[in-house]
Amino acid sequence: MTLLLGKRRAVVAGVSPRPRRRVPLSAYLFVLPAVLFVAATVLYPLAYNIDLSFRDVGLREIVAGGGDFVGLRNYAAELGRPEFRHALAVSLIYTVLSVGLAFGCGLAMAVFLNRRFPGRNLMRSALLVAWVLPTVVSANIWRWMLDGTYGLVNTALGGLGLIDRGVFWLVEPVTALAAVILATVWTMAPFAMILLLAGLQNIPATLYEAARIDGAGALRRFTSITMPMLRPVNMTVLLLLFVTTFKTFDTIYLMTRGGPGDATTILPIHAYLEAFQFFRFGTGAAATTVMLLIPLLLSVFYFRALRKEDLA
Amino acid sequence: MTSRRAWLSTAIGTLLAALYVVPVYWMVATSLKRPGDIFASPPDLVPSPVSFAAYADSVLTHAGVLRGLANSTVIGLATTVLTLALAMPAAYGLARFRLRFVNGFLLLFLVVQMIPAINVALPMFVILSHLDLVNTYTGLVLANCSLALPLAVTVLRPYFLAVPGEVVEAARVDGCNQWSAFVRIALPVTVPGIVTVAVVSFLGAWGEFVFALALTTKDEMQPISVVLAGLTNAFGTRWNDVMAVSAVVALPIFLAFLFLQRFVVGGLTAGASKS
Repeated sequence: MTLLLGKRRAVVAGVSPRPRRRVPLSAYLFVLPAVLFVAATVLYPLAYNIDLSFRDVGLREIVAGGGDFVGLRNYAAELGRPEFRHALAVSLIYTVLSVGLAFGCGLAMAVFLNRRFPGRNLMRSALLVAWVLPTVVSANIWRWMLDGTYGLVNTALGGLGLIDRGVFWLVEPVTALAAVILATVWTMAPFAMILLLAGLQNIPATLYEAARIDGAGALRRFTSITMPMLRPVNMTVLLLLFVTTFKTFDTIYLMTRGGPGDATTILPIHAYLEAFQFFRFGTGAAATTVMLLIPLLLSVFYFRALRKEDLA
Repeated sequence: MTSRRAWLSTAIGTLLAALYVVPVYWMVATSLKRPGDIFASPPDLVPSPVSFAAYADSVLTHAGVLRGLANSTVIGLATTVLTLALAMPAAYGLARFRLRFVNGFLLLFLVVQMIPAINVALPMFVILSHLDLVNTYTGLVLANCSLALPLAVTVLRPYFLAVPGEVVEAARVDGCNQWSAFVRIALPVTVPGIVTVAVVSFLGAWGEFVFALALTTKDEMQPISVVLAGLTNAFGTRWNDVMAVSAVVALPIFLAFLFLQRFVVGGLTAGASKS
């Protein structure tokens, strides 16, 4: 969300009407500590990670330091392993399905909550609870709700006559993936909703009035006004959803630990297990470095598209 | 819109809200059941009798849980203080002065928020082990602050942009230096933004999991998020106990939501709607 506000501001800052004056060097001292902190705690570790990815680093090297330079061997090993390719595939399936569903549900909720009706604000607050709830908590709730024998979800589905015996959601590969997607969508949809709602409220009401006078129905107004007007916001929301979902760790780690087997082992889980369970820090670092490319490339495309739209 | 359609909307909206309220309700309801009662079939929708046994057994007398709560409180407070100390001047500087590279700095703070936590947690573990800082508050606070700071700067900067430049100029003319103009003039009028950032930083550290998991190998240093994750294995099917601890972990978020919603949601969404 802050990305959304921030990025617009970043663009706005460039065309700020305030005149450029000589800035005393002391002014930089306000910004310097924060920039240095980010450099030391994020940029340095990222660079360090790339260095690690070229070395053979196991538990002994962690304790004693060092690690032999092995060139691209970690990358070759990782990219050649079926486990890595499997994790990449699971990551993409999980992310694309979660983002698609969260965006669809978020948009539906936003359009719905953009109408006036009694209790609207209360309902909006209720949806936001899921978004602020720590994932350690919501993942546990879903594990319990999806319990095969005593879970509330099975009870509800059974009551509706949709299933005739308990589904062990987290035990079967396909249902486990469905379950973690459900938990992710549950959290991400309100996040999409709040951003899209803000976008909807910026569309001038006069457009809808004019369309109504011209005889456009509700569906036509949605496809011809809402969606085109919402396009920049849609792009931002989709990017944010993708980046956030792609880096998900807690929800899956807590619900399935990447299992059953490796059915829900997404890339971050794979990299974590590589490093912290098998103590192969070198290959773990290679895996995370490759993983970083995907959101990075997407962001580049996004900022390019954004610049194009701002110039247009 | 006719009032009948409005009420239909209310009905649909209630169902929608139920999808979100029911899981949270179920957590609380389960935590208030006696151990045997959670396995009733069909499940009791309302706990009867209401029992606080799960809280007594798993929260108040469980050494690991109490230590986890204490650890998370210390880490959360320290993260908040450090984040504010770094973010307030930075956001002010980026709003007030026409610095070179303003857009570059802003972009840095934005892009950093997109990086998967595991990408930083893995090398940070290696770096901190060389510095003997694994299993320390220092390590965890630095890690949490690295997550909170970029967000804090992006949230705070608009608040400082809203402070009229003339007011700060006037203070300068009256003899304030740059720093005291910032502390005496700009900070007091941006208190809502500062509260927002403080709450978001604390809650972020309180629920943070990836760094907490990677940077603690000893039980006694684990924040409550990692303790909770461990309990789900240790407690097995004692779901009332797991839900009781979950409810306690969620409590600060609910309190913030109830009493500070204006700051937390209001602050963040106000920014989003202006974009």
